[in-house]
Amino acid sequence: MTLPLDGIRVVDLSRVFAMPYCGAYLADLGAEVIKVETHHNQFVDTTRTLNGPYPDNEPGELYWERAGTFHTLNHGKLSVTLDLRSADALDVLRQLVSVSDVVLENFTPRVMRRFGLDYPNLKAVKPDLIMVSNTGYGHSGPWTDFGAMATALEPTHGTGAFTGYLDVDGDGRTSPGTAPNKIANSYTDFLASWTAQLATLASLIHRARTGQGMWIDLAMYQVGTSFMGEGLLDFAFNGRRTRRIGNRHETRSPHGCYPCQGKDQWVVIAVRDDDDWQALCAGLEMPELAGDPRFTDPVERHGNQDELDAIISSWTSARSKYEVMKALQEVGAPAGPVLDGRDLWRDPHFRDRGYFEAVEHPPETELGRQEYVSRGWRMSGNDVRIGKPAPMLGEDNQWVLSGILGLSGTEIAELEAADAVGQRLAGAGTPSAVPLDRQVELGWTVDYDTDYRGRRSP
Amino acid sequence: MAGILSGIRALEFGGHVSAPFCAKLLADYGADVIKVEPPAGGDEARRMGPFVGDDPHPDKSIPFLYLNTNKRGITLNPSTTAGAGLLAELLDEADVVVENFPPDEKPAPALEIESLTRTYPNLVVASITPFGQTGPYRNYAATDIVAVAMSGLMYHSGDSDREPLRNVLNQSFYVAGINAAVATAAALFQRMTTGRGQSIDVSTVECLASHLVQAVPYYSYMGAIKGRRPVRGSGFEELMPARDGYVIPSVQGSQPWATVADLIGVPELHDERFASGSGRIEYGEEIYDLLVKGLAEWDRKALHQASGERRLVFGMAQDAGDLHDCPHLRERDFFRSVNHPVAGEADYPGLGPKLSGMEYEVYRPAPLLGQHNREIYEDELGRSAGELAQLRALGAI
Repeated sequence: MTLPLDGIRVVDLSRVFAMPYCGAYLADLGAEVIKVETHHNQFVDTTRTLNGPYPDNEPGELYWERAGTFHTLNHGKLSVTLDLRSADALDVLRQLVSVSDVVLENFTPRVMRRFGLDYPNLKAVKPDLIMVSNTGYGHSGPWTDFGAMATALEPTHGTGAFTGYLDVDGDGRTSPGTAPNKIANSYTDFLASWTAQLATLASLIHRARTGQGMWIDLAMYQVGTSFMGEGLLDFAFNGRRTRRIGNRHETRSPHGCYPCQGKDQWVVIAVRDDDDWQALCAGLEMPELAGDPRFTDPVERHGNQDELDAIISSWTSARSKYEVMKALQEVGAPAGPVLDGRDLWRDPHFRDRGYFEAVEHPPETELGRQEYVSRGWRMSGNDVRIGKPAPMLGEDNQWVLSGILGLSGTEIAELEAADAVGQRLAGAGTPSAVPLDRQVELGWTVDYDTDYRGRRSP
Repeated sequence: MAGILSGIRALEFGGHVSAPFCAKLLADYGADVIKVEPPAGGDEARRMGPFVGDDPHPDKSIPFLYLNTNKRGITLNPSTTAGAGLLAELLDEADVVVENFPPDEKPAPALEIESLTRTYPNLVVASITPFGQTGPYRNYAATDIVAVAMSGLMYHSGDSDREPLRNVLNQSFYVAGINAAVATAAALFQRMTTGRGQSIDVSTVECLASHLVQAVPYYSYMGAIKGRRPVRGSGFEELMPARDGYVIPSVQGSQPWATVADLIGVPELHDERFASGSGRIEYGEEIYDLLVKGLAEWDRKALHQASGERRLVFGMAQDAGDLHDCPHLRERDFFRSVNHPVAGEADYPGLGPKLSGMEYEVYRPAPLLGQHNREIYEDELGRSAGELAQLRALGAI
């Protein structure tokens, strides 16, 4: 079985979320993706050590091999450890780049120049190299040397101008919100990851036609702004700076998020037109609403949506979110449950489509068989899937150093003796996991199931 | 300099956001994209607000103007006999079809996925729907908020003591659009060696669910349900009020606590108890009050600048005007001035990344309905002006 990126080698120098995830997707597409990391704790990818979650919330002795978020972001890759503070290791990395096609990195511009790993230097060893340099603000412009994290970048690139609850006054009347909010989930990281994948694949097509490489200067701030196009043009044409209307819609109603039976259970309902409205009234089994003069047309409904929302909420509150979905979808009205992590994990639709993909982890990790989120698309001509779990630290040192680069046993031993290469994380103590009861108290975790394994779908 | 996908021809069917955004990205990278709209009314995005000058004119829809730059536009009704003939000729010359019709509602038999891939084996067909082409929800009705809810993303957005909060500006369909472009580019690259095309089934909810790299393993690894932003906490990594708006103070990055405390400028923050992550959890409410006090003395942009200079990673809430006038984006040459014959001139946001081997250009504003009928049907497909008039009379274009 062939895959689109068979024969393509990717050197992945990146850390945290955006670029590691890009590398994992390229691996699913068939590329040989080599994650270059280090066994020195202060420079290791922090998703190995800081994010967890660990099986049953127990880090274990080999905790850096056991973090669920790391495994989600790095599946399908090989791992080689090279401490770039060593000149010899740096030289090995240059050799690796010279026999690779793509480099992914997300260091600050300053760091890459200091190591001599910036694009001009790497292009010298691999003239048709495709390289993605992912930073907060890009390699030019007044903010170029500013560091960044997705969680702080997200409102900086404008999501908060358009995300926010409605304000509610003492009489329950609503008005556009004054406070911004976040989409959360490190939203910008994923926009950057999808953007990097597209730019890399387009550049591979370009290289195949012209023989030319590409440097992709990917500024997460700029990428995020490119997803706010509608909002920016509304300012350019109309001078509007912001528009926070909670879960409502500018012209359609009802349109919102309604409470359901149970703790923190919600359903959304979104009426597009009069047909949907008629369907909704039928689904709610309230035919009298369809004829109610307060709600007859979109303008009336929009003007009276506080009242309408109260009627709908009282109906949804007595039902489960899935019941509401079924009752309304059956009559063709757009409605859907707000799925949490558990719901998603068990949802029959995601399961039916084989969305979660399983891999068997090496016995040392004691992770066994685990399933991970995959991707939003399937190809008819390829069995694109998570081919192997994320690597253990330095798992492929031998293959990369000897098999690909032809280093002798003596040379490898010298790198190990200099502590530039290693397979066991050095310089850290086992992290302590915050107990789940405490997490519930802090509000990080809503609830937990002790029997979650039994609840897993087959 | 031409775009790097030049010479690749894509046909776009459907409308609204997801397929147009996918095709816009292909066009922005240089592909020759022909947007095919129904003769009666065109793309439904033409009726989506906001509108330029709040005038609900089909050529003044702001989403439409943004989503359709660099494309040519034609009208075609493929369910008429004459339209079906034109469609076949267009497909003969196409490398890519991007469409977002509901799975069981293709407007013509020739646009069924099976039929396309069978008749045109070298064609790449990307089909974008809310839930995908298979599975129990495949025919469910969905809008952006429904997709965001059912992807799991929305549950984690907003405050824990309120209802989950929708993501904005049709984000779900933008994310689906770029994912479709990724898979399309992979298929085009593969086609260079195999000569064969294939179909791509894009599910919007699955694209967004792939963002949940924390919430899903929270459950699969330890049975825990990750929630929304806790109401109580130190205020770091959250939106906090400053003097002229909101900022995000951050302890992320590699700088010591003293640097953070110095920047905020409240002496009481220089406290060993606050220097560790666990300390900031334990004394969260105390820190929150000090942060509120310190941040009230700062303007957003000055704080962001000072943070960057100290190698901290604070953020700020910027509105559309801030972004439009942002000196950093301007210096990076992000915007392109685009003049549309009906909507007028404005600065449009450009491409996310900067590519060393490609100059990004907007060489066409969004097309008027049927603007390129003559160019495509007469100049490229060889119809005469008389034949075009006849096609128009038959409702084919």
